Amino acid sequence: MAERPGIYLRLAAAAVRATARRPAYLAGRTLAAGLLVAVEIAGVVLLVDRFGTIGGWRTAEVVLLFGLAFAGQGLALLFGDTLEADKVSTLVRRGTFDQVLTRPVSPLGWVVASYVDTRFLGRVLAGAGTVVWAADRAGVAWTPGRAGLAALAVVCAAAIIFGVLLAAAGFTFVTVQGSEAVNVLIYGGQYLASYPMQIYGSALRFLFVWVVPFGLAIYVPALAILDRQGPPGMPGWLAWLSAPAAAAFLVVGGLAWRAGIRRYVGTGS
Amino acid sequence: MSTIEVQGLRKVFRTRRGPVEAVAGIDFRVQAGEFVGYAGPNGAGKSTTVKMMSGILLPSGGRVEVCGLVPYRERKRLARRMGVVFGQRTQLWWDLPLQESFELVGHLYRVPAADRRARLRRLEEVLALGPLLEVPVRSLSLGQRMRAELAAAVLPAPEVLFLDEPTIGLDVEAKVAVREFLRELNRAEGTTVILTTHDLDDITRLCNRLIVIDHGRIVFDGTIDQLHAAYGSTRMLVVDLADPSATLVPGPGWAGAQVVRAEGHRRWVRFARDQVSAADLVAGVLAEHQVLDLSIVEPDIEDVIRRIYRGERGR
Repeated sequence: MAERPGIYLRLAAAAVRATARRPAYLAGRTLAAGLLVAVEIAGVVLLVDRFGTIGGWRTAEVVLLFGLAFAGQGLALLFGDTLEADKVSTLVRRGTFDQVLTRPVSPLGWVVASYVDTRFLGRVLAGAGTVVWAADRAGVAWTPGRAGLAALAVVCAAAIIFGVLLAAAGFTFVTVQGSEAVNVLIYGGQYLASYPMQIYGSALRFLFVWVVPFGLAIYVPALAILDRQGPPGMPGWLAWLSAPAAAAFLVVGGLAWRAGIRRYVGTGS
Repeated sequence: MSTIEVQGLRKVFRTRRGPVEAVAGIDFRVQAGEFVGYAGPNGAGKSTTVKMMSGILLPSGGRVEVCGLVPYRERKRLARRMGVVFGQRTQLWWDLPLQESFELVGHLYRVPAADRRARLRRLEEVLALGPLLEVPVRSLSLGQRMRAELAAAVLPAPEVLFLDEPTIGLDVEAKVAVREFLRELNRAEGTTVILTTHDLDDITRLCNRLIVIDHGRIVFDGTIDQLHAAYGSTRMLVVDLADPSATLVPGPGWAGAQVVRAEGHRRWVRFARDQVSAADLVAGVLAEHQVLDLSIVEPDIEDVIRRIYRGERGR
């Protein structure tokens, strides 16, 4: 982003203050976001309990994966919710984005900071709470290393989703229409990755480990946290790949965003 | 160097029905301190031009420079020296008290805190914003909000100000306040102003120059007086004669003037400004008749502009 990070912090603070002026509304939305996680987790518990285990994973272990995924998603949406296709196209159609372009700041910094949505803190906290609860049930002995891995998993998953959102937003500048395909990619992809990866075929596994590294960001660190063996033949160094993979998603997303803006300025709407 | 230089500027939009040339090669220069009205019917290319000048849109051809910068290439640098007010959209923080918008703008444009406070004090006074500072922007009336928008736009002391319909939807009083402020800003700070508007009253009251665009081409560029001269617009002398039965006889210095209507005491005399001066005409009438009252009605600029849009050629 641009020269001074201070202005983006100010913009984000202004966005938070704006919602905080209606505390009941903010609390309600945050609570709802958290409750949604609880409901989805309950669904998983019911489902997995039916079978006892899925691919050799016990209920608590599966729930831990979900907790990490939800926290990552919440973190990504805290900053990137406004990058969703329909919201970007609204910004464009209302002319708000034209105004952003007349400001002496980075358009991305402006959009992200100005539309920070604190409601997603509810999702982050509920996800984190789920992880703690599930880890307890699964008998995880927390060490600083494991806690660090859990945090890394959340941050990397968030970065990957943010990267996808960013790329989608860049694409939206070209189409200027809400694209459902992207939502399918984000939520569908996440849903798939939340289940232990052995239940997918090796081709699909390959796709998800290498192409959409949700599995990389969440599954591999989860193995270490739960002290489980990965599928046979999985190289040990894979655990080190989530951070660079997440960074790569961010870079690609950023490039797509820039290309989108260049295209937008070229064509207008 | 001119503040704005536009040369052979073009913009072509690709649409489903093929390319549309929104701006079809226009040229003009605006010197520092000019107050330029930019008028034209809907879809004439007004806002496309303004977007290209403010760096929002990349030209398809030609050249544009504002403050010596190429807008789309040096967007952020230009943004620091330029103010923008779009009448129908807000640049303010909708949910926060107005005061916070001013603070944020100050930080955005790196206005030193002391300068910001001093400038804000003046702006608050001129635009009567004092009582509104604690009010969330969403609760301001349109007139109040427009005054606030202007204050926010000029807080960083821009060299160029682009205004798009700044008086749209305002009541008479609010319009007067906005115009007054703009005139003073232009006079006192030498701010170059480009005013896009449908309100021709704005133009006659504020602009010393008018550019009219239609179908992507400039169809007029000059002063309001030149506009009237070019399109032969006429003024009207309205006299109330003491004797209602008197006939207003054209005197020797009355070239081209004619009585177009008579009703009771009142007579309407139409005259072209390049043929007879109002002073001569009035002197002539006063010499021959006893007059109760008289007034001169300036030509209706709207009428002139309508004729331009219809494609009538100037003289």
